[in-house]
Amino acid sequence: MSQRSEPAGNIYDLGYRHYDGVRLGRQQAFFSLYRYSLRGAFGLGRRATSKIIPIGVVLLAAAPTFAQLAIAAISPINATVISPANYFDFVQVTLAIFFAAVAPELFARDQRMRTLPLYFARGLRRNDYTIAKLAALATALMFITLLPQLVLFFGNGLAGSDLAGYAQDHWMELPQVVASGVIVAVFFACISAAIGSQTPRRMYSTVAIIAVLILTSVVAAVIAETVRGLTLKIVVLLVPFEAATGTIRWIFNAGVQSDTNLGKSGLEVWICFPAVVVVSAITGWLTFRRFARVDV
Amino acid sequence: MPLLETHELTKVYPTVTALDHFSVTVEGGITGVVGSNGAGKSTFLKILLGLVTPTSGEVQLLGYDALRQGPEVHQFIGYMPEHDCLPLDVSATEFVSHMAQVNGLPRAAARERTAETLRHVGLFEERYREMKGYSTGMKQRVKLAQALVHDPRLMLLDEPTNGLDPAGRDEMLDLVRRTGKEFGIAVMMSSHLLSEIERVCDYLVVIEGGRLMQAGPLGSFTERTQVLAIEVDGERTGEFVARLRGAGLQVVEEDHSVLVGIGESRPYDFIRDAVVDLDLALVRIEQRRQSLEDLFRPTHNDEEERHVAAV
Repeated sequence: MSQRSEPAGNIYDLGYRHYDGVRLGRQQAFFSLYRYSLRGAFGLGRRATSKIIPIGVVLLAAAPTFAQLAIAAISPINATVISPANYFDFVQVTLAIFFAAVAPELFARDQRMRTLPLYFARGLRRNDYTIAKLAALATALMFITLLPQLVLFFGNGLAGSDLAGYAQDHWMELPQVVASGVIVAVFFACISAAIGSQTPRRMYSTVAIIAVLILTSVVAAVIAETVRGLTLKIVVLLVPFEAATGTIRWIFNAGVQSDTNLGKSGLEVWICFPAVVVVSAITGWLTFRRFARVDV
Repeated sequence: MPLLETHELTKVYPTVTALDHFSVTVEGGITGVVGSNGAGKSTFLKILLGLVTPTSGEVQLLGYDALRQGPEVHQFIGYMPEHDCLPLDVSATEFVSHMAQVNGLPRAAARERTAETLRHVGLFEERYREMKGYSTGMKQRVKLAQALVHDPRLMLLDEPTNGLDPAGRDEMLDLVRRTGKEFGIAVMMSSHLLSEIERVCDYLVVIEGGRLMQAGPLGSFTERTQVLAIEVDGERTGEFVARLRGAGLQVVEEDHSVLVGIGESRPYDFIRDAVVDLDLALVRIEQRRQSLEDLFRPTHNDEEERHVAAV
């Protein structure tokens, strides 16, 4: 190389080459941000310690799947303890931990590190940024809400002696599994994004997300003990975990146990779905508004 | 076609007018943007970057309408903010390569350019380590690299030497100068240190109170003044001054120098003869240049008044 023959006095002097290849513009900016954020959600490209929580939570969320598959493999009778319809009940707390850890990572980090102006000064509009981040969070959540259930679905099929027969009996479950996984992921992505994006301080948003997701469920349980009727119906619709559970029951056409909050409220479960859509829309809008207005 | 042209650019905040009918044309090369704190430099740069929407006015940047074609024009611009902007938990390679892709480069090209650019700014093995452990100087280099990685046509650098020690400052200014001169990338750099501007810039834009005070080649700001500075050594300095005054020259004594106003008269021979007659040693004789600092002194008071009036 001719560059080597230059005097070694200046270490930077290796010659500058202009870039004359393609520039893919806004689309490339969008997908790059999506990929980078998704990697960040699981701590990829970071030090090992930042992988512990997200990967651990994903494994924890998959535990019911492995439990059910173990039961199905060992027990001679065809016992179904954990089904797609009630899977969500087993992973609620795990989910809350995941949102609380990952949403501030995706939505507060660029504000805390002040990287935001770099993005907004590039070939990317502010709304593009929000969409890419929301999509990354929803995708990350699907590793919990969708992936274990898909494994469960195919695992159950393989565990039985008759795969073709299983598929014939259960084929309706597949679109239900996908629909419920996607809806729940988008719903919680919007809620935790709306909270996580409001402050650059990670601690505050982590606590706020836990409060909104877990405390509301506790409050609902207390109210369910004392009040019935319309008040309880409204409360249940406003509690994220209750509304999500109701929607899942509705998708799988499964009944509600009478001893749950949802059962006590006497709510028709289909109403939970519009509630989920409305709450997603409002919290999604709050997230967009935050990034459209934030000063950089 | 000029690099940048603004027309009557105005930004009004609730309590203050940051830019006030600001019209300027910048041709290229390395341009310094100077002004005291709160003069409107940051607002000006942020409008060019699409980070702030002006109240009124027009901006033509690289031939684009910068206020309506933001994403199109911004892919040809690199931006290095004044403040910290690096995610410290990833490596320089990971971050700069991501930024290259956010600027529209395909993934393979982004990786290649990242390696080259980090080498240009002087980051070698440490580029694979997370940035948490970097010194201020190394962080500034990564900030410069992410502004350069996509081979922009214009780089906007906001106080690039902020927080650096003298050696780091020299290296950074050298990098900026090389980017402008050798790489052929137009640079606009804001600084409140006039000595830095004098060292690297070809052109100067002076903002005061949101208005354009002056713009032009650096040389036009440091024109020769009609003052001759003379430094003599010897016992009879007093007599020397008296003799100059006697010849009708305006004379002011400064610490070590004697300042002589020269207008149309060219009193060089007279001064030389006086020095010889009085048996003095002539240390220095030079025509004073206007310094950039002189630009700011006279307007300082109106600036404050204008701020008071605005609030």
